[in-house]
Amino acid sequence: MWQSLSKSVFLLTILVVIICGIYPFALWIIGQTVFPFQSNGSLLQDADGKVIGSQLIAQPFTKEEYFQPRPSAASYDASASASSALAASNYALRDRIARTLGPIAKYQNGKSVAPDLAKWFQQDTFQGKHHIVAQWATLHHSLVTAWVNADPLHAAYVDTWMKAHAAVVAHSQPKAADVAVVFFQNLSKKNPGKFPAAVSRTVNGKTDTTIELVGSGVDIQSIFFDMWRQDHPDVVLQDVPGDFVTTSGSGLDPHITLQNAEFQLDRVAAKWANNLKRNPADLKNAIEQILQKNAQAPFAGLAGEKFINVLEINLELHKRYGALS
Amino acid sequence: MTLNGIEQIILFLVVMLVFVKPLGWYMARVYEGKSCGISWLVKPLENATYRICAINPTKDMDWKAYLSAMLIFNLFGLLAVYVIQRMQGYLPFNPQTFSAVAPDLAFNTAVSFASNTSWQAYSGETTLSYFTQMTAITVQCFLSSATGMSLLIAFIRGLTRRETKDLGNFWVDTVRGTLYILLPLSFIIAVVLASQGVIQNFKPYQKIDLIQPIHYQLSPAEQATQVGTKSQFKTVTEQVIPMGPVASQIAIKQLGSDGGGFFNANSAHPFENPNAITNFIEMLALLLIPAAFCYTFGVMVNDRRQGWAILITMLLLFIPMVFATAIFEQQGNLAFAPLGIDQAPKHDLYPGGNMQGKETRFGIVNSALWTAITTATSNGSVNSTLDSYTPLGGLVPLWLMHLGEVVFGGVGSGLYGMLMLVIIAVFVAGLMVGRVPTYLGKKIEAYEMKMASFAVLLMPLVVLFCTAVASATHLGTDAIANPGAHGFTEILYAFTSMMNNNGSAFAGLHANTPFYNMLGGIVMLLGRYWIAIPVLAVAGSLARKKITPSNLGTLPTHTPLFIVFLIGVTIVLGALTFFPVLALGPIAEHLMSM
Repeated sequence: MWQSLSKSVFLLTILVVIICGIYPFALWIIGQTVFPFQSNGSLLQDADGKVIGSQLIAQPFTKEEYFQPRPSAASYDASASASSALAASNYALRDRIARTLGPIAKYQNGKSVAPDLAKWFQQDTFQGKHHIVAQWATLHHSLVTAWVNADPLHAAYVDTWMKAHAAVVAHSQPKAADVAVVFFQNLSKKNPGKFPAAVSRTVNGKTDTTIELVGSGVDIQSIFFDMWRQDHPDVVLQDVPGDFVTTSGSGLDPHITLQNAEFQLDRVAAKWANNLKRNPADLKNAIEQILQKNAQAPFAGLAGEKFINVLEINLELHKRYGALS
Repeated sequence: MTLNGIEQIILFLVVMLVFVKPLGWYMARVYEGKSCGISWLVKPLENATYRICAINPTKDMDWKAYLSAMLIFNLFGLLAVYVIQRMQGYLPFNPQTFSAVAPDLAFNTAVSFASNTSWQAYSGETTLSYFTQMTAITVQCFLSSATGMSLLIAFIRGLTRRETKDLGNFWVDTVRGTLYILLPLSFIIAVVLASQGVIQNFKPYQKIDLIQPIHYQLSPAEQATQVGTKSQFKTVTEQVIPMGPVASQIAIKQLGSDGGGFFNANSAHPFENPNAITNFIEMLALLLIPAAFCYTFGVMVNDRRQGWAILITMLLLFIPMVFATAIFEQQGNLAFAPLGIDQAPKHDLYPGGNMQGKETRFGIVNSALWTAITTATSNGSVNSTLDSYTPLGGLVPLWLMHLGEVVFGGVGSGLYGMLMLVIIAVFVAGLMVGRVPTYLGKKIEAYEMKMASFAVLLMPLVVLFCTAVASATHLGTDAIANPGAHGFTEILYAFTSMMNNNGSAFAGLHANTPFYNMLGGIVMLLGRYWIAIPVLAVAGSLARKKITPSNLGTLPTHTPLFIVFLIGVTIVLGALTFFPVLALGPIAEHLMSM
């Protein structure tokens, strides 16, 4: 017993020296001398030698002139990798995706869905029943609560409403989130075809944001796209690539599929063409060629489909066309 | 599935099988104490180790001595991991100045790595210093694997030796396993990984300026933590890139069926697994030793057909599961279809399928293949988010673990688990045809059967009991991340993974709570050490027996008939036990989402 103990102590110590001393440091030396670029994070530098990113880690790009990476559950924070862990069957996942799609959804002919969606919303009928917002609130308690908690302005708006509707809120001193469902059911019946959204106005150089009841806009497009779609199952929309709306396993996926890049190509080309005062069709062709040149498939296409490194393609755009003001 | 996908899976299996014979032969020579090519380099180190530790390499141990040496060595390793985590604030190589890990989490992590589970309730890049990662995590990746391998070798010696108490020397087996097998292989793998972009440095995390600064609205919680002037919006102008000695850990965590990643996202993180080549090598590393051990077994029992029979059994259970995951994931998420999401694969353009939680560079096939391998072996590393798999795609890894981690399984532990099932299969077959059950000339009697049953039945008992407790209490259910049947599956998966020393997770479960850390720690201890006792007891008992020469009345254990029978026993014992809970979890979820 005691013998085993002393053997354990010595053996563990020796193996720690070998495993944590010799092994990683030998690797470190090989890495730093033979593969310094790879061992240090595949960091890319600009012309002045300033580090501008890692080839392997996604950076956020939201502007129209850039190819955009996949959404990230880690907010692109490379020091805190994370996936969303939403189950395939969880409605929250479908809702998150529907909200991304709503504002950008297009018919097959390229026309935006938004005006029709607003019209449908203002008519205020879902599945043959009146009051879309009330039905939404009844169906998805957690989403409604999340709406209240998402923004202090929302909570304040519900608080004001509570004070004015003491009779409806029988509950003793509820928090705004507690009455969210009742609030929306009530609001929907009194204001058919309206939804509370943040509206910013600039008066005398001072921007003021308040909650107002509106009948169209991004909030309605994103929140009610799924319901609109359920009411219009037969219309044909332009398909969106899955990786454009789904989050990756690390939150840092540096790539998008070639299909996703092609999907974004029109938007990117239009923006650059507008800025450079060039023919959109020509520029689209030029960028398409850059895409084809940069597309890579593992093992020369033996293992899987082609994809694009988002950071590299955007840097390439900068290199070709300069900075976009 | 696409043709390309099928080709990839076949290519992988072929490459994997090519290594079985040479590596299996090499490992047999290592454990038989013969010279094996690199002795000139390693032998001096090995002998020096024996001298310093006062180990007499010629002294054999009986099963109790072997067991106690193993337990003491592992206990000491466990304590070391705990102490290092609690002290990391005072220790060097801590550029991010992480402070001590909380006691319950440190306990869970210590058990997790000593038992070769590497269940990670922590997130590596925000919790552990480089010192802790190297001295605690990486060291245990080696030692827990070497321990599992030693146990297997002791068990094989029990089968081959006759009329003796001796099962070999635990210290020698562990030292040789580490120095001759794990260390050289890890080194080769790590060099290749480093050449492809897996980082290996000791720098502090790097800050870079974003090309496009991002404005985003703060959540109320974030606003509440602001000091000074409050603002609703935040502009992010920089990105923090983590650093660290990653390649040295990733090589062994894949090779040693350990699976504990350096980063939270494990092998989905681009710094752990940057491209398809590293992905292929990491998958290969997962299966290398467990598959080759079948051949080692054949060599050591001097009847290679026995080894091949077991390897074929494992492959026949494994391959259908690979295709099942890949097919279910390729079908995509039914809930997305009405929204207008394209989930059909397009040649050269798009992998299609359920891309939620998967990395673009791996696509569907390499994510699904990885998931099947890592749960068939008790590795538990992930390159995609299992929680976001389709209900049936997620059922496959769960079911592979429910088989008891005997389809390849952990290094060493998988094969000794399978040999326990072989004993049961031989016994049952003997009863059916009225023959005296023998395996490799050793009579299987009541004592062996009791011990084998004990080893096999403990797992379902603990998994189901703990799942029931956690599902019935707020301590358990508060951690659930997804509603409905899926939430139940998260709990079931957690205890299945911990009891089988796998370590993968439906990671939405907020398992870093005292309840899960403590209960999970106990479950992992049971899963590893409580099962090691009957395994060594059987080995000790078998070693004492004579070899009965085989005759017409002996059931051959290398025939297709026996392979089918063994598969039957594995499925009945492992999987059918869990059918009711699977019906409550993934099957219910699937039916509801249709």
